[in-house]
Amino acid sequence: MTTAILPRTAVAARSYARGVSAGLRRELRELRRSPDRLMALVTAPLLTLVFVAIMLNNGRDDLAPYAVLAPALLVLWQMALQTSGDTVEAERENGSLEALVAAPSSFPAVIAGRILAVTGVSMLGFAESWAVAALVGVRVAIVHPGVFVGALVVTAFATACSALALAALFVRTRAARAFQNTLTYPFYILGGVMVPVEFLPDWIEPLTRLVFLSWSSDLIRQSLLPGPVQGLAEHVVAIVLLGVVSCAIGGFLIRLALREVRESGTIGHA
Amino acid sequence: MPERTASRPDVSTRLPRGTAWRAVVASTRNAWADFAATFTPLSWTLGWLGRIVAQVIFYALIGSLLGSEEQVRYLYIGAAVLATAMETLLVVSTSTRERYSGTLPLLVASPSALWPVFLGRSVQWLPSGVATATVALFVIGPGFGVTFTLADGVATFGVLVVLAITTYGYAFALAALVLRHMRLRNWATNLSYIAMMLVSGVTVPLTFWPVWVQWIAFAFPITHTLVAIRHLEEGVRPGLHVLGHVGTAVLVSLVWYVIGAVSLQRLAASGRRDGSIEFAE
Repeated sequence: MTTAILPRTAVAARSYARGVSAGLRRELRELRRSPDRLMALVTAPLLTLVFVAIMLNNGRDDLAPYAVLAPALLVLWQMALQTSGDTVEAERENGSLEALVAAPSSFPAVIAGRILAVTGVSMLGFAESWAVAALVGVRVAIVHPGVFVGALVVTAFATACSALALAALFVRTRAARAFQNTLTYPFYILGGVMVPVEFLPDWIEPLTRLVFLSWSSDLIRQSLLPGPVQGLAEHVVAIVLLGVVSCAIGGFLIRLALREVRESGTIGHA
Repeated sequence: MPERTASRPDVSTRLPRGTAWRAVVASTRNAWADFAATFTPLSWTLGWLGRIVAQVIFYALIGSLLGSEEQVRYLYIGAAVLATAMETLLVVSTSTRERYSGTLPLLVASPSALWPVFLGRSVQWLPSGVATATVALFVIGPGFGVTFTLADGVATFGVLVVLAITTYGYAFALAALVLRHMRLRNWATNLSYIAMMLVSGVTVPLTFWPVWVQWIAFAFPITHTLVAIRHLEEGVRPGLHVLGHVGTAVLVSLVWYVIGAVSLQRLAASGRRDGSIEFAE
């Protein structure tokens, strides 16, 4: 009945939204039942203490914003990475990946919903870092609240898109967990999550501009520091653009991988 | 299938039957096989080692942010040495996997005590942990101002080996405790690792913390061995002083080894009594 009234694209959009919603609800249930999935949120307060302690030990209270922001960004990336790898791997181990792919609902939509849920939950890392720092007497003011909130929104979008692209990669490999492990610290360096990329050798800097975290960390840090925010539009455009590219690549790769594994019947045995 | 049977590792040893060390040695074969199944030389070098080196550089860069070459060196050495401890903590993961695999009931039912089996089960992380820190300290370290004389370098390598073995004791005890509470396995590993980073002199000196925190730090063998390595890197040569720290780490780890062995024997005994040794959830 619905299909007779609504145009085809609207039906597809509604179906996609249902898939996203199902994935989102499923992931929230999983997160409640699997404390391991929240590991990054457990370690974030301790990492905040580590970074804050380094700054205080060196008498550099002025660098507190760097110490507080870094653990929050680590949580964001770590949880996205974990979800993109574990989502596919866990379904594969469970033997449910085939059923998920064969279901009428869009597989990329379900994955996107799960990633959105995790990205939303991982934003708690920001609250944790700020709260822990405040507990030890280090208060980090948000000097430009509008820029801060805006930067978080576009960063969350880009994180979710990157996780989608990684999930697409993980569909095709059995070594998802190995990749997960490898894509942590190199990204933290290239993303300037703790130390701005200007501190890296000149030859690495162009590479860092392809990592959305380098733009995000720079913009969020600027929102915490006194003085005007430099290059606001440039930063936002770069983060959104890199997110859109990741989403496009992720969506394309997932569809391509699904077509291939359906044809070869190797989905459970990538 | 016939090839598989033929390639089964030979677990015979020259040690007399019925001795604990025979079980330890046989169990180490399992560890090496596990390692070979986890990594190829390429995946270990590019994937694992690359990741660890990136982690060490990440912390050293904080020294650049602070504008202090001394801090670059301090943080680099701390993070590099911590890599050995971090890998050794993977003992918890590989030990608890026995329960997930369903082999724990068989081990409990076997004539051997449980502790020798688990003592040998995860030794693969010892050379791996020492190798990553060795590459970080001696190959990449000079790029961050970390240098050793030949003699101090050799001594540092020896301390790294001791660090791995002593931290293995802590991880062995932790694994024994976690085998009872499987859901905590990742929590135990990660929280231990970050606690070491926080209080063991890895990122800030021990004296930064209140005395009661320092006492907690003394329970980690890395607290003592890291001081020894820092002395060696600085070129301070009171050998007895370095040996004193290493000796303290050995003594602390002996306590952990005993706790681990006793906990495992209690786990086996209570499991036999109430039938609680089964597949983990």
